[in-house]
Amino acid sequence: MPSYGNGPDSGAGTRDLFLTGVTLLLAFGTTYLPQSTQERVSMLLQEGLRPFTALQGLVSEEGARRVRVEALQEELDSLSAMMSTHRAVTDENRTLRKLLDLREALGYDYRPATISRPGTPGSESTFLVNVGTEDGVRASAPVLAPAGLVGVIRESRSSNAVGIDWTHPDFRSSAMLADGSVYGMVESRRGDFREDDRLILNGIPYHQEVALGQVVLTSGLGGVFPRGIAIGTVLRIEEEEGAWRKAYVLDPAVAPGSATHVLVLVGESADSLNLSDSEGEYR
Amino acid sequence: MWVSVLMLFTLHFVLHIGLSYGREAPDFLTLGLLIAARELSLSRAAGLGLVAGLLEDAMSLLAFGANSIAMTLVATGGSVTRDLFVGDSRLFFPAYVFAGKWTRDLIHWLAMGPEVRHPFIEQAVLEGMLGALYVAGIAIVFSIVRSSWSER
Repeated sequence: MPSYGNGPDSGAGTRDLFLTGVTLLLAFGTTYLPQSTQERVSMLLQEGLRPFTALQGLVSEEGARRVRVEALQEELDSLSAMMSTHRAVTDENRTLRKLLDLREALGYDYRPATISRPGTPGSESTFLVNVGTEDGVRASAPVLAPAGLVGVIRESRSSNAVGIDWTHPDFRSSAMLADGSVYGMVESRRGDFREDDRLILNGIPYHQEVALGQVVLTSGLGGVFPRGIAIGTVLRIEEEEGAWRKAYVLDPAVAPGSATHVLVLVGESADSLNLSDSEGEYR
Repeated sequence: MWVSVLMLFTLHFVLHIGLSYGREAPDFLTLGLLIAARELSLSRAAGLGLVAGLLEDAMSLLAFGANSIAMTLVATGGSVTRDLFVGDSRLFFPAYVFAGKWTRDLIHWLAMGPEVRHPFIEQAVLEGMLGALYVAGIAIVFSIVRSSWSER
């Protein structure tokens, strides 16, 4: 039973009040810690929650395994059809690049991963992937689903990594229309309700025409996301500022909540490195 | 009592982290904390609140510290209620849990910062009230189960 009777004037009561004050100060202090310290504390605490994150990984992997075999077969068939023509195109591209004395376009290496989401308050827009630094995953690595861009890795640890999806307020990506005619910046914008969170293509010069339904891809500018990953399609105009800037609402290529199996970019492909000539220069 | 609090804490992390449930699963952590706070001194309740809040913040990249502040304040408040209410009426426990959970959500909303939080009406009023009602309902079930266990 609780011990009643320690009045504020007694020594025990004063010590209790002092300790409460210190604890409250510590609690408030956590918000003022530098971000790097917050991340270190967070990583330490996550070690304590490892049994639960391990369970989460198991559940997500089991969910990913339940994908219908027929759907996978269909995807395999369409990929095989694409690959049968892809080799010829790649070869043609390489020959033309050699003729023009251009460097070989670099490929990228990806690690397949399973995505899982904690449901604790404040963890909205974040996810965990079951690959980490041991697999070559670094902070700022793009995360892709078959349909397009999911988000980016924020922190990488030895065996897993934490990422943010496009609904996170910090998410930004340089973008372009699929035909390369218009460039802008894609960002997340909070709606009145959580379900109203939107993906916005911003910074489009007023005089440039963007047709509704056009596909928006990453432009590769800024060096975080490789060029050509689908972000979404133009849905409607969001705002016009004066006569110099327009912003459009995008229909996202990937619904973050539905992404379970993803690819995490880990760097340039080893195959592309083998294309260097005897003098060590790319062609 | 401590076994049931530990079970509530574990259940919370199994549901919210292990099984990735969001608002669908009740906030067993706050429920456990509110129960424990009435049995603890002010400083111990605050300490337990800080630990619980930090564990919630471990997964929070958006607003690290907001859960720590909310849980520490709510646990401290819970401990203070011992001196204000005896708590022997049937209505007290669900009402206490409802108020505690809603206060926790309100403080969390305030501590999150304007660039991260959703509108007040949606997050603090609608979601906060529904979440508090949900946990209060669970508190009623919990007290029935606990009293039937103690009668055995």
